[in-house]
Amino acid sequence: MDKTRDTPVLPHFTGCRSREQETFRCWWSAGTFSNLSEPGALVVFFQMKNTPLSDWQECPEYTATVENECYFSKTFTHIWTSYCVQLRATAQNITYDEFCFTVENIVHPDPPVGLNWTLLNVSRSGLNFDILVRWAPPPSADVHTGWMSLKYEVQYRQRNASHWDKLDLESGTQQSIYGLQTDKEYEVRIHCKMSAFHNFGEFSDSIFVHVAPIPSKESVFPTMVLLVSGVVGLLILLMLVIFSQQQRLMVILLPPVPAPKIKGIDPELLKKGKMDQLNSLLSSQHMYNQDTYREDPWVEFIQLDLDDAGEKSGSSDTQRLLGFTRPGPKGDDDSGRASCYDPDLLPDAEGLLAAHCEMEEHHPLVSESGPSTPSPEATDAPFLPFRTQPVGQSWINMDFYAQVSDVTPAGGVVLSPGQQSETPGMNPDEKKKKGEDAGDEEVEKEKKLQLLVVGSDGGYSPEVVARQVESSAPYSPAPENAYHALPPEPGEEPQTWSVGYLVPDGEAQAPYFLPEAPPASVLPPVSDYTVVQEVDGQHSLLLNPSAPQSPACPPNPTKHLPSMPAVPMGYLTPELLENLSP
Amino acid sequence: FSRSLQTVLFVALLCLDLRTHVGSAPICPHGHTGCHILSLADLFDRVIQHSARLHGLSSDLHSEFEHFFLPSKNHIGRVYRKCHTSSILTPNGKENAQKLAREELTEVILKLLTAWRDPLSQLHQSMAHQQDFNSFSSNKALELSDMVHELRKGVEKVTEKMQLLGMISNSVNGLSSSEALLPASESGEAMSDYELVYCFRRDSDKVQNYLKILKCRIVPEHGC
Repeated sequence: MDKTRDTPVLPHFTGCRSREQETFRCWWSAGTFSNLSEPGALVVFFQMKNTPLSDWQECPEYTATVENECYFSKTFTHIWTSYCVQLRATAQNITYDEFCFTVENIVHPDPPVGLNWTLLNVSRSGLNFDILVRWAPPPSADVHTGWMSLKYEVQYRQRNASHWDKLDLESGTQQSIYGLQTDKEYEVRIHCKMSAFHNFGEFSDSIFVHVAPIPSKESVFPTMVLLVSGVVGLLILLMLVIFSQQQRLMVILLPPVPAPKIKGIDPELLKKGKMDQLNSLLSSQHMYNQDTYREDPWVEFIQLDLDDAGEKSGSSDTQRLLGFTRPGPKGDDDSGRASCYDPDLLPDAEGLLAAHCEMEEHHPLVSESGPSTPSPEATDAPFLPFRTQPVGQSWINMDFYAQVSDVTPAGGVVLSPGQQSETPGMNPDEKKKKGEDAGDEEVEKEKKLQLLVVGSDGGYSPEVVARQVESSAPYSPAPENAYHALPPEPGEEPQTWSVGYLVPDGEAQAPYFLPEAPPASVLPPVSDYTVVQEVDGQHSLLLNPSAPQSPACPPNPTKHLPSMPAVPMGYLTPELLENLSP
Repeated sequence: FSRSLQTVLFVALLCLDLRTHVGSAPICPHGHTGCHILSLADLFDRVIQHSARLHGLSSDLHSEFEHFFLPSKNHIGRVYRKCHTSSILTPNGKENAQKLAREELTEVILKLLTAWRDPLSQLHQSMAHQQDFNSFSSNKALELSDMVHELRKGVEKVTEKMQLLGMISNSVNGLSSSEALLPASESGEAMSDYELVYCFRRDSDKVQNYLKILKCRIVPEHGC
């Protein structure tokens, strides 16, 4: 109503209230009628709606001290009784306003008294605290007799905030406030109402709550210091790690371009005896190198028998590698695999050296599909997975053996098994020549065998190394590592097998070449071979062609070679070969 | 305090067995196993709490009625309504109630409670049939009816206990005359639902206050 001045406001009741449900008061206003604001101009009449209806009575008492107030004392206050009050002008018979109520519905209790607070606790961080607020019911309200049952509501706010936070109604006389902040000042007040009614009374005086923050600085400072020092320490550690592992990190972050490696078996694998990887590598090698090997018919390859490896025949990888397949007559179990070692051919003097196995196919060391060898396959002697392709004769127990045609400067041994079909005498020479020719690093086209040998005998180092280096690859340092010994199965026949193995790291394993059982009967056209005496420090082979025996070579059971009297320790020297060759 | 009160009430309920027995039953007669003998104060507390709940519920129902039927209310004016219980003489103030004899006070309470049993069930039925009220409100009316019934039983038990203890005479007879009361307005028409709710709210407040005053007079406590 903007036009308050123009619109006359009639005299009216501004309200009626009871504080304790025993008495009540009514107030009125004269409105814009200034002439009626004089005391006595307006009168209040009331009527109690009882049965029988009482008459209208004038206000029992006009409060002297308060203007425009009519006070109803206890005698005039009847609870649960409807009242109607009227505001009348004294002079005229005009009723300006009427107001009806029942007393219990106009009860606004006085505010509670004795509001105080106590600190309950302070949070660990020192940032928050809880308090317990206590009060007493208003003295005017008779709560002891139960005449009034009050419910209290506590409100609080920050000092200068505009919004009050309200807590739940409380029937008792205390309540907790949680989660106050320590560095802020709070204002708390309370008011109450009768249960089941809606009229709140006046608010009490506010109390102020303030808790000084507990040495926040001190508590925060050390944590900051700790945090910073922790971060710095971590950084230092990180730097140390980076610098110490710089090489590694460089490798990880900037992996070196793989140098062209001689494809073959990772020497690391061989060292650690990871046969599965080795086998897979070898088999893949087989596929890959198939073409290149075909070029040179003169190169024999030691054939790895991986069929068994793939078949999980149960024999260990080492066995398979060494050619120690399941015992028992196999007959032609090797599909197409030429067996250079044919125990039946023992009496045959030609069949001794595996180097004479013909090779019809150029298989890498790993070849599975044995070359079509005309030689009978019957080898019940376990053969190394890699064997030279037998031409016809086969070693009895020899796993295989290859002729060392040359020794690379790097210490690798270039093997070139000779062809069995040819005269032993010729082959060695030719082979040797070829071998020597091929011994150069440049002759990479030839397939050169490197290595191997396996010593099953106890005297030999149990490591068998089979490794083939592709000729295509330049002689990298790999050949140095090309010789790893693969541990033969302990349960193997003590055969022995074969070839010497080269251990590049100079282990005291018999660095020589032990063609152990080159029985005289199976001395096929063996190309000349040389006994590797030992490997010196520079990883170069020391060949001792004349040394018939290696000191470390225990006498090999010559059971398989009964008719080899002249072969000492199973060594076969070129001279012997010549003698033996038919 | 509330927990102990609840346990007390639970045991009291076991003993008093308010719901099943219509007739008055002795409160934990001697030899009755498993029944604690409750003090009169505990019984009073129980009925007072019950009456407080009753009053609260009736107040809620009244608020809902006002919300529905009297949306615009600028002042607290009340048109005079005559309730069917207006014929019962009730003390209108604290002093009057305190001056009244205990037996009379008890009788008044019982009269009031008895007078409202039937009207409340009528109210519930009439509210249930009307679509203006949601089920919550009509359920409240039903609950009010049940509570009034229970409270009456409770007060009867308390009365018996008081008579047993010799605190009041045996002249309390609140069951006979009030049953003849029928809810009728001045004009002879049946009271409307709103009027019923309004009147019951007032009467439940009376019952609550009377019980408190009675307890304070019967069971001496500090401040009474």
